[in-house]
Amino acid sequence: MVSEDERVAVRPGLTPLHWLLLVSVFIIATCGLIYELVAGTLASYLLGDSVTQFSTIIGAYLFSMGIGSWLSKYLDGNLIKWFIRIEILVGLVGGCSAPLLFVLFEYVASFRLILYTLVGLTGILVGLEIPLLMRILENQLTFKDLVSRVFTFDYIGALLASLIFPLILIPQLGLIRTSLFFGLLNIGVAAFLLYRFSETRSFRHSFSFILLASVGLLTTGFVYADRIMTYAEGLAFQDTVIYSKSTAYQRIVLTRNNRELRLYLNGNLQFSSADEYRYHEALVHPAMQARPFASNILVLGGGDGLAVRELLKYPSVQRVTLVDLDPGMTKLFQQNFTLVQLNNRSLLSPNVRVINNDAFTWIRQDTTRYDVVIVDFPDPSNYSIGKLYSTTFYTELEKRLAPDGLAVVQSTSPYIARKSFWCIKNTLAAVGFQTIPYHTYVPSFGEWGYVLALRNQHWRVGGPLPKGLRYVTPSTIRDMLYFPPDMAEVPTEVNKLNNQVLVQSFEEEWAPYGH
Amino acid sequence: MDTNSDAVGRRTFLAQAGAGMAVLLTGGIGVSGCASARSISHIQGGMAGANHQSGHRLRAISELVRLPVSEKLTTNVLIAGGGISGLSARRWLQRQGISDTLLAEMDGQTGGNAAYGQNSVSAYPYGAHYLPIPDLRNQELLDFLTESRIITGSDAQGLPIYDDYFLCHDPEERLFINGFWQEGLVPEAGVPESDRDQIRRFFQLIDRFKTARGSDNLDAFTIPLDRSSTDETFRQLDRVSFASYLDTAGFTSPYLRWYLTYCCRDDYGATLETTSAWAGIHYFASRKGQAANANASSVLTWPQGNGFLADQLRAGAASPIRRNLLVYEVRLNDTGVTVVAFDATTNRNVVIDANKVILATPHFITKHIVQKIAPERSAWTGFRYAPWVVANLTLNGLPQGRGMPLCWDNVLYGASSVGYITANHQDLRDGPRKVITYYKPLTDTEPDAARRQAYGTTYEQWLTQIMDELETAHPGLTPYVSEADIWVWGHGMMAPSPGFVWGNERRQAAQPIANRVFFAHSDLSGVSIFEEAFYQGIRAAREVAEAV
Ligand SMILES: Cc1cc2nc3c(=O)[nH]c(=O)nc-3n(C[C@H](O)[C@H](O)[C@H](O)COP(=O)(O)OP(=O)(O)OC[C@H]3O[C@@H](n4cnc5c(N)ncnc54)[C@H](O)[C@@H]3O)c2cc1C
Repeated sequence: MVSEDERVAVRPGLTPLHWLLLVSVFIIATCGLIYELVAGTLASYLLGDSVTQFSTIIGAYLFSMGIGSWLSKYLDGNLIKWFIRIEILVGLVGGCSAPLLFVLFEYVASFRLILYTLVGLTGILVGLEIPLLMRILENQLTFKDLVSRVFTFDYIGALLASLIFPLILIPQLGLIRTSLFFGLLNIGVAAFLLYRFSETRSFRHSFSFILLASVGLLTTGFVYADRIMTYAEGLAFQDTVIYSKSTAYQRIVLTRNNRELRLYLNGNLQFSSADEYRYHEALVHPAMQARPFASNILVLGGGDGLAVRELLKYPSVQRVTLVDLDPGMTKLFQQNFTLVQLNNRSLLSPNVRVINNDAFTWIRQDTTRYDVVIVDFPDPSNYSIGKLYSTTFYTELEKRLAPDGLAVVQSTSPYIARKSFWCIKNTLAAVGFQTIPYHTYVPSFGEWGYVLALRNQHWRVGGPLPKGLRYVTPSTIRDMLYFPPDMAEVPTEVNKLNNQVLVQSFEEEWAPYGH
Repeated sequence: MDTNSDAVGRRTFLAQAGAGMAVLLTGGIGVSGCASARSISHIQGGMAGANHQSGHRLRAISELVRLPVSEKLTTNVLIAGGGISGLSARRWLQRQGISDTLLAEMDGQTGGNAAYGQNSVSAYPYGAHYLPIPDLRNQELLDFLTESRIITGSDAQGLPIYDDYFLCHDPEERLFINGFWQEGLVPEAGVPESDRDQIRRFFQLIDRFKTARGSDNLDAFTIPLDRSSTDETFRQLDRVSFASYLDTAGFTSPYLRWYLTYCCRDDYGATLETTSAWAGIHYFASRKGQAANANASSVLTWPQGNGFLADQLRAGAASPIRRNLLVYEVRLNDTGVTVVAFDATTNRNVVIDANKVILATPHFITKHIVQKIAPERSAWTGFRYAPWVVANLTLNGLPQGRGMPLCWDNVLYGASSVGYITANHQDLRDGPRKVITYYKPLTDTEPDAARRQAYGTTYEQWLTQIMDELETAHPGLTPYVSEADIWVWGHGMMAPSPGFVWGNERRQAAQPIANRVFFAHSDLSGVSIFEEAFYQGIRAAREVAEAV
């Protein structure tokens, strides 16, 4: 047995090179913490509920670091080589984590799985770093010096990270660039070690190529960070995300601030709780007040149950059939506490039947006749939805109306998409409907249009309205009928399955607004 | 809502980016990360194919005749062949009050080149898939379409109104060119101005041909083509190839030539060199349809393709149809004809006594059937058939590049195929699952050599070729393919080679023998399209009715 003192005597002490190794501990530590913060911030930003997100991310990250530390004992041989490898990997995985998570958020079904996999992977790699370094330095220092120096640098790095992250990095660089930048730092450490340690000569050449490629990748990401951000288009939310889910059909995101709740489908705003009553009252009541005895109602689209909420205000209504493509959407509005409050439990009413099916397929098979049909489809922004605004669809719609029945169709903005709005009106007219176009102002949408489609001339203002409406009165309805010159009727073609003119004009008209 | 295809496109991009990253990560770490070849082993399916086995039995008639006879049948008119022309003849006879007919079809289903299949996603064609809006003067065809409720009425001007569900929905056609999906099939994206000039000039020329009339006051180009003008000014075009016609007229643009080659391959399974100029122009200049709710370039289509029309035609008569019955010999007897056929279900011969027979079979088969009574037919050389390969791919999604979203007809510039159609395009349901029908005429070598090669190609080889080509426009497509049925048409369709349409063989081929054996088949037009098959069936049926 050799004594403590004897052991000290054989340690050569730190060369300048080893000092630099310790400085890299500092950089590594900063990077490590930054990745953790990036993941935590991103998770609470995208998934909402920041306390839960942060604590689970930190927990998972630390635990993975533990795994990494434990795994470190299996790494043998050329330790410097291992260390450089790990650095490159940390740089790539950690560095790309933010851009990857941003982009993937929109497109993968199980975002959490990816998130925690990335966090775990980064954690494991970061967990490998310190034990490895300590083993590299093990022959240069006594154990107590080694531990004290390494951890001092480690914790200083952590402090620095925790300060610059909220104060400088997020405001100046943003999440994506921050993560890429620190990835570059890790790669820098790897490069530095590669060229300063003579032991690396045998693999310098092959590693140089990888280093170069990695730097290239991260730098490109850094330069194009804004594009990556726009690519992850649905993430232009200014508010806290409280719910998000990718269904087979769309990505549903719900955000909240202290004033309102917003629902986005594929990044497009569907409603804001602050003013959705305007949209939905205007959608439902001009039709319903003209048919005081309407009892059997069909709603197409509108899986949020908000139009149904308005319908259920009429005692005459006995049965509402709602057809929406996406079960994910209707379930959400049947189960989520806040949303169920918002639609007043409308989709849970025993008088309401919810059907998840494609509206076109369904309406061709249906045989019931309805007193009123509310058509609340998404805007005609692509060919699949454009079909639901065609003469063929409206012909099927007409067959489903009672002799005295009427339908109302949400018809995009007559201000922004003037041609599209009048095209919908003309398409309804082309299959024989009497049409009554009207519009209203919804602050979060702007000027919005609807078209009433009647099987006969029989429509008037002044019918009974339910109590407690916040927007629609007989005078509101009269006002809505007037179109000022900048929204006045323009001649348009009729939208048919074999020309789909509506999709084209809609695209043109909304393009400047980045719809 | 995003279009599905778009979302898939981005998803694949991500998948690839991810894979790229993984290679980068592992490659340098010493873990071997070599790019693996695309695997097609997950794709279900196999070779389907027009019963060419039973067709080939015709080559060995001497063996067939030795089989015992199990059945004797009599009928007034026997129709051999249940393709469009045979079904059309049967329907027409019924309308003339001749309902004691028997139709013999060698295949397990009727339809011929308009056959179709079906799976849980969609029905899909094995061959013919569309019909252009017909000319208002093609009264027989309009009547049939009205009877089938494809035409639902007419407007104030008397123009037919077509059922919207059957008119091809927008977006109709796109072309993948210079890395971009452009709208329409005539090359535009990245095409130089001088080429565009030629393209414009070509279509101006076609417009003149559309309205041109001969000295007999008949349209220069019309459908059925037998009703076209006999004026030499136009008929002489049949004596030169489309290629040399274009050369003479100064149409040299590679983009225009590609487009016209594509058209010849798509419509005739032939090249510019092997197509007659008359036929090449006819394809464009005969399209003069009018409708209340569509225009001359509109087409009718269904998931099952022209199989829909075949089924409607079959429903136009009630007389019996025998499937799996291959007619191989026709002899004249004292008063009528004796027909010998092979029943593939019993492996026995069936002898049918008929007053008249209509052979609605392609010439390459007909010549064997009438070998005894018209041996000269075997010496004719004008009937040339290119083999075709048709693949129906069932997809769980379709990754795609920049530009126009998925259309009904999707063509790749410069490819060896003529592209693919989306079989469930007319299905209004929106979903990621699709069936696409991929068409490839084998025009690189002489038909006989191409046929031999086609029969020798395995399922895996076809599939690899097809996926290699589709991957150029849809990187990452292969994993999305769940099923692939590949169908080889040994004699896909007849190509109108120079001299054929207005030559002697075609005229003679339609001549009845002894006023008892009649001929119907689109081969007798030289242009293989629904309208001609439909017309040839009626023409033969009329001759039969007159001969009674
Ligand atoms: C790949 C492909 C794509 C095409 N696409 C189109 C298209 O989109 N639009 C279009 O208009 N046309 C298209 N065509 C052309 C098509 O050939 C015609 O439209 C039409 O279907 C031809 O009908 P037919 O009756 O003349 O011939 P066929 O379809 O050849 O009918 C002949 C029938 O006779 C049967 N038969 C043969 N021999 C015997 C025998 N000895 N005994 C009994 N039965 C026999 C065959 O099984 C077959 O059913 C396409 C053809 C092919 C090959």
